[in-house]
Amino acid sequence: MNDDTLVLYYYNDGLSDRERRQVEAALNSDPAVAARYEALCRQLNDMADPALHAVPAHTLQRWHDSIDRAAQMERNRQQQPTPSFSLPSFVWGAAITAALAIGIAIGVFFTSADTNAPIADFRVADLQPQDNATAFTRGVKMYLRDTQQELSSMPVDTAADRAMLILQIVEQNRLFERAAEQNDSQSLARVLRAFEPILLRLAADDIAPEDAEALRAQLAFELNVMLTKLSRDASKDSQST
Amino acid sequence: MVAILQSPSAPTQADFHAAISDRSDRWFSACLKITRNRDMAEDAVQDALLSAWNKRHQFDSSARLDTWIHRIAINAALQILRKSRPNAFEPLETDIPDHNDTPEHTRANQELGKNLAAALTHLSEIERVCFVLKHLEQWRLKEIADEIDTNVGAVKQAIFRAVRKLRVRMAGLQGEAL
Repeated sequence: MNDDTLVLYYYNDGLSDRERRQVEAALNSDPAVAARYEALCRQLNDMADPALHAVPAHTLQRWHDSIDRAAQMERNRQQQPTPSFSLPSFVWGAAITAALAIGIAIGVFFTSADTNAPIADFRVADLQPQDNATAFTRGVKMYLRDTQQELSSMPVDTAADRAMLILQIVEQNRLFERAAEQNDSQSLARVLRAFEPILLRLAADDIAPEDAEALRAQLAFELNVMLTKLSRDASKDSQST
Repeated sequence: MVAILQSPSAPTQADFHAAISDRSDRWFSACLKITRNRDMAEDAVQDALLSAWNKRHQFDSSARLDTWIHRIAINAALQILRKSRPNAFEPLETDIPDHNDTPEHTRANQELGKNLAAALTHLSEIERVCFVLKHLEQWRLKEIADEIDTNVGAVKQAIFRAVRKLRVRMAGLQGEAL
């Protein structure tokens, strides 16, 4: 009777009924096995859950906020009237969709070049990994610039319109976040993920105009920082090749 | 139709706030044990909260909300860990050597209180995750295997190795304390 079997017996998992009966018989008949099992139980029982780690106050607040914003978004969606054709909303939606299509086309199509190799044409076959990274970066930069423009000229008079537009940006953001993860750009994925709570706060219908303006300024700043960083990284890459 | 699908006692916004206030340190600590990275653990809890909120109408009202979110948070942590290190859960055929026996590490462990948290740092990724899920979170072997895309045999082996290493290390730490 080895210790591994005794470990499974301790956890009451991973042994058949027959194996459990064998362990019980050995424990009853063999004092050495019983002593080993007792020592094992003592040691495993001593491996109690380590101390809890305190959550930083700002993180705790962020989690509370995220529930409030999610609830607010839901209420906004429910309060929206049945869809009727609205030219400004249609134009905004079309513009965002076009930007999304271009960005995704550049970013995701080229990054998936490897998996498409057998049916791809000569241009795809010629692509190097660095080309993929460059294409993806270009797509992200385009998305960030478009988002900057959309936010700076976003209508703030009707909460429903604003919420709808921001929801579309959030959807785009998630697509790019997933694409960043697929491209092993974890830091970029984290930055994009961090945009989401700010966007959701901006979408709330009860936000004061000055708060909305402050959030827009914060987002514009963050987007600018990200764009500068991406441009600098791209420049470094091109110098090193 | 929606009204039929939705549970009449879906948790409310206030329920979520109460759960966050009371239990988020447990969710965070559990995720931290899985990921060993504070940012990733924070992201896991954030993802879990939004996911739980969006699925709150599927919540079984006979269960506890905080336990439900706890489980979702651990799944989120595993997902984040897998994304960040795609080979994290590949089973190892042999024991990996312990590279953490430098004097600095020994001192750090002593400062950490010679507890399980310190001993866990000496395990490989799959050993740590399987042990934490089995021993601290009381998951079934099959659940662990399903969640990390491996088989029950590999999970058992990871737990056996983890227990062997932890017993030696904890015994050593307790010996030093005497």
